[in-house]
Amino acid sequence: MTSLILQTASKLIVPLALLFAAYMTLKGHNAPGGGFIGGLCFAVTLILLRMGVGPEVFNRMVPLHPRVLVFVGLAVAFLTGLVPLLMGYPFLTSYVTDLQLPLGASVHFASALFFDVGVLLVVVGTSVGMILRLSQEVEA
Amino acid sequence: MTFVMAVCVAVVFGVSIYMLLGRELKGLAMGVFLLGHAANLCILAQSGSPVLPDGEGLKAPPVLSHGDYEAAAHGGEALSRMVDPLPQALILTAIVISFAVMAFLLTLIIVSARKTNTLDINELGKEQLPTPSQAH
Amino acid sequence: MINHQIILFMAIPLAAGLISVTTAKNLFLSRLIGCVSLGGMVTMGVILLWLSHRDDVIYVSQLGNWQAPFGISIIFDSLSGLLITAASTVALGAYIHSFDMLEPDIERRYYHPLIQLLIFGVNLSFLTGDLFNLFVAFEIMLLASYALLTLGGTRKQLTQAYKYVLLNLLASTIFVMTAGMVYGMFGTLNMADLARIVHEIQADPDRELPTGFTALSITLLLVFGLKGAFFPLWFWLPDTYYTCPISIAGLFGGVLTKVGVYSVARTFPLIFAVGEGSQLIILIIAVASAFTMFLGVLGAVSQHEIRRILSIHVISQIGYMMFGIAIMTGWALAGCVFFMIHNMVVKCALFLCCGAMEKHAGTDDLDRLGGLLKRDVFLAVLFFIAALSLVGLPPLSGFFGKLVIIREGWPYYWGTLSIVGLLTGSLTLLSMLKIWGYGFWNPTPKAHPIRTDAPTVKRNLKAAYTGIVFLVGTALFLGFAAEPVCQVALRAGEQLEDPVPYISAVLRIDPDVLRVSLEAPAAPQVTLSAAAEASP
Repeated sequence: MTSLILQTASKLIVPLALLFAAYMTLKGHNAPGGGFIGGLCFAVTLILLRMGVGPEVFNRMVPLHPRVLVFVGLAVAFLTGLVPLLMGYPFLTSYVTDLQLPLGASVHFASALFFDVGVLLVVVGTSVGMILRLSQEVEA
Repeated sequence: MTFVMAVCVAVVFGVSIYMLLGRELKGLAMGVFLLGHAANLCILAQSGSPVLPDGEGLKAPPVLSHGDYEAAAHGGEALSRMVDPLPQALILTAIVISFAVMAFLLTLIIVSARKTNTLDINELGKEQLPTPSQAH
Repeated sequence: MINHQIILFMAIPLAAGLISVTTAKNLFLSRLIGCVSLGGMVTMGVILLWLSHRDDVIYVSQLGNWQAPFGISIIFDSLSGLLITAASTVALGAYIHSFDMLEPDIERRYYHPLIQLLIFGVNLSFLTGDLFNLFVAFEIMLLASYALLTLGGTRKQLTQAYKYVLLNLLASTIFVMTAGMVYGMFGTLNMADLARIVHEIQADPDRELPTGFTALSITLLLVFGLKGAFFPLWFWLPDTYYTCPISIAGLFGGVLTKVGVYSVARTFPLIFAVGEGSQLIILIIAVASAFTMFLGVLGAVSQHEIRRILSIHVISQIGYMMFGIAIMTGWALAGCVFFMIHNMVVKCALFLCCGAMEKHAGTDDLDRLGGLLKRDVFLAVLFFIAALSLVGLPPLSGFFGKLVIIREGWPYYWGTLSIVGLLTGSLTLLSMLKIWGYGFWNPTPKAHPIRTDAPTVKRNLKAAYTGIVFLVGTALFLGFAAEPVCQVALRAGEQLEDPVPYISAVLRIDPDVLRVSLEAPAAPQVTLSAAAEASP
C-alpha cells in the first residue's frame, strides 16, 4: 500500500511534524497547545510514517506497543499529581519558577509540564493503538 | 451568529437522530459521532461570540473580569473582550470522551459483526431464544 | 491536612488499576492488588467518616490549588462519605465473589483494571463539587461498565450492550449540553457557587431566576433519571443487568443506579429544586417515585427467573429513594441516604446469592430450582437474612430507612405515597418469598433434577461465600448498629436540607455572612406541603 510519493514525502514531513508536536507541547503552559494537541500531532505523524513505510518497517522502527505508552503516560501524569500531595499541597498543584540560563536568558518552567508529557504519551498511545487495531482488522 | 449556530446545532442533531434510529450499525456509529459534535456546537454557541465589536454578545470570562484594569494598566487589551476559554475546555474534554466512546463502539461493532455475520441490529437480536431461561 | 487526603479515594483505584494492567497475566497478584485497594478504601472511608462526624467538618480539597469557583473542588461530606464507604464495601464483596464466578480467561482480559476504573468513576462522582466533573465521572464509570458488560462477549450480551451504550450516550450528550447551558446562564459550574447564586436570587424579591432555569432542571432530572432508572426511563435496566456475569451484575445493581439517585439528591435540594419551578419538579419526582416503586415491584412479582426478579427489584427500590428526595425534609433525606447504603449492600448480596444458587442448579429459572435448603443450609440462611433485610423487617437494615421515609411522607399528598410504599413493601416480601419458596423450600422438581455434586460445588465456592458473608455481615451491622449510621445519615440529611455549611466550606465564606445574604426575611420556604396545596 506504500507509494513512492508518500514514502518520499513522509521522510520530509515526519521530522518537521515531530518538531511541531514538541513545540506545541512545550508552549502549552500559557498559550494554545499542550499535551493533548501535541500528542495528537505526534500520533498523526506516526500514522503517516506507517502509511509511508508500510507496517513491517514501521514495526521495526517503533518496536513499542502503544499500550506501553498509555501505561507510562498515565503513570507519569499520576505521579506528577501525587508529589505535591506528599508535600502537603492539594493534588496536582503546580510549581512554577523561572530558570535562569547563562547569558541572561530565562525559561518559564512549570512542573505541570510533566503532567503534559504524561498526557502526550497517553494520547499518542491511545490514538495510535486504536487506529492500528482497527487498521489490522481491515488489512487482515 | 447565534442564529446560524442554532440552525447548525439543529441540523446536526436532526441528522444524528435520524441515523441513530436506523438499523444499520455503521450508521449508528456515525449517528453517535454526530451527536457528540452537535452537543459540542451547542456548548460553543452558549459561550458567546467573540466577533461583535461593541462588546455586545460577548460573555466575559469569569476568571478574568477583575483583571481588566491590570491588563489596561500594562498596555494590553481589555481581557473581558476575549472569548471565554472555559466552554472550549469543556468541549475539549467532551471531545476526548466521545473519542473514547467512539473507539469502544467501533470495536463493539467489529466484534459483534464477526460473531454474528451481520451489521443489522434487527438480525442481531433475532436469534435470541424467546424465553431467556436458558442456562447462563 | 486531612483535607487533601480525600483525593486518595481516586488515587488508590487509579494506581491499583495501573499496576494491575501490568500484572494482568498473574491472577493471584491482580486479585491481591484489587483487594488491597478496595479494602483500603473501605477502611479509609470509615475513618474519615468518623473523623468528619466527630469534628463536624466538611473536607474540601481544591485540585491544583485553584480557588473554589474557578478550579475543581472535591468535597467529602457525610453524604459522599457514606456512599463512598458503601460503594467500596459492595465492590469488595462482589470482587471477592467474582473469583469463583468468572472464567480465568475472562479475568485476564483486563477485568481487574476495569473494576478499579469503575470504582474510580463512582468515587469521583460522589466526591466532585462541580457539574461538569460529574459528567466526566459518569463517563469514566460508564466506559468501564460498557467494557465489563461485554466481558465474555456472548451474543446476548452484545445485543443488549447496544441498547445500554446508546441510551447512556444519549443521556450523556444531554447532560453535557445542559452543563454548557448552566454555564451560559450562571457563568459557573461549581455546585456550591451555583447554589449561592440561586439562593441569593431567590432571597432577593427584586431579582428573578433566569428564564429557562426550570427547563434546565427538568432536563437534568431526565438525565439523572435515565442513569438511575426512574419510572418512565427504566426500560433498559432489566434487560441489561441479567446478561452479564453475576458478580458484575451484583456490582452494577448495587452501585451504578445509586449514582444517578445520588446526583439528584445532591443537586436538586441544593440548586435545581429552588424557585418557582420547584413545585412542579417536586411533583414530578413524587409521581415518578410512586410509579417506580409500585410498577417495579409488580414487574418483579411477575417474573420467574431470579436474575430478572432481582434486576427489576433494583428499580422498585429506587422509588423509595426518590420518595425520600421528594419530601425534601432533613429527616426524609436522611432516611433516603440510609436506605441507599442499605440497598446497595443488600441488593448486591442477593445477586451474589443468586450466583451461588446458579452454581448449584445450573439455572436461575424458579421452575427448575428447588431443594437448595437441604443442599446448602448456609447459603439458605445468608439468602434469608439478605431477603428479609431487603423487605425491611424490624431488626434488619431495611427497616430504618423505610420507617423514616414513610413516616415523613405521611403528611404529604394525603399519605398516598406512604401507602404505596407500604404496599410495595408487602409485594417485595411476596417476591422474595417466591424465590425462597421455589428455590430453597420446595423439593427439587422431578423433571429437572440437579446434577451437580453438592459438596464439590460448596468447595468450589469458598471465595463466593466469603463475598456473600462479608456483605450480609455488613447488612446485619447496618441493622443492629443502626444508631451510629443513622446519626451520620441524619447529619447528611441536614447538610442536604441546609445548603449554608456546604457552600461556606467550599467557597470559604463565613457561614454567618452567607446566611444573611441567602435568607431574606420574606423568602418563602418552598416545601412539599406548598406543592401539595398547589396541586389540585
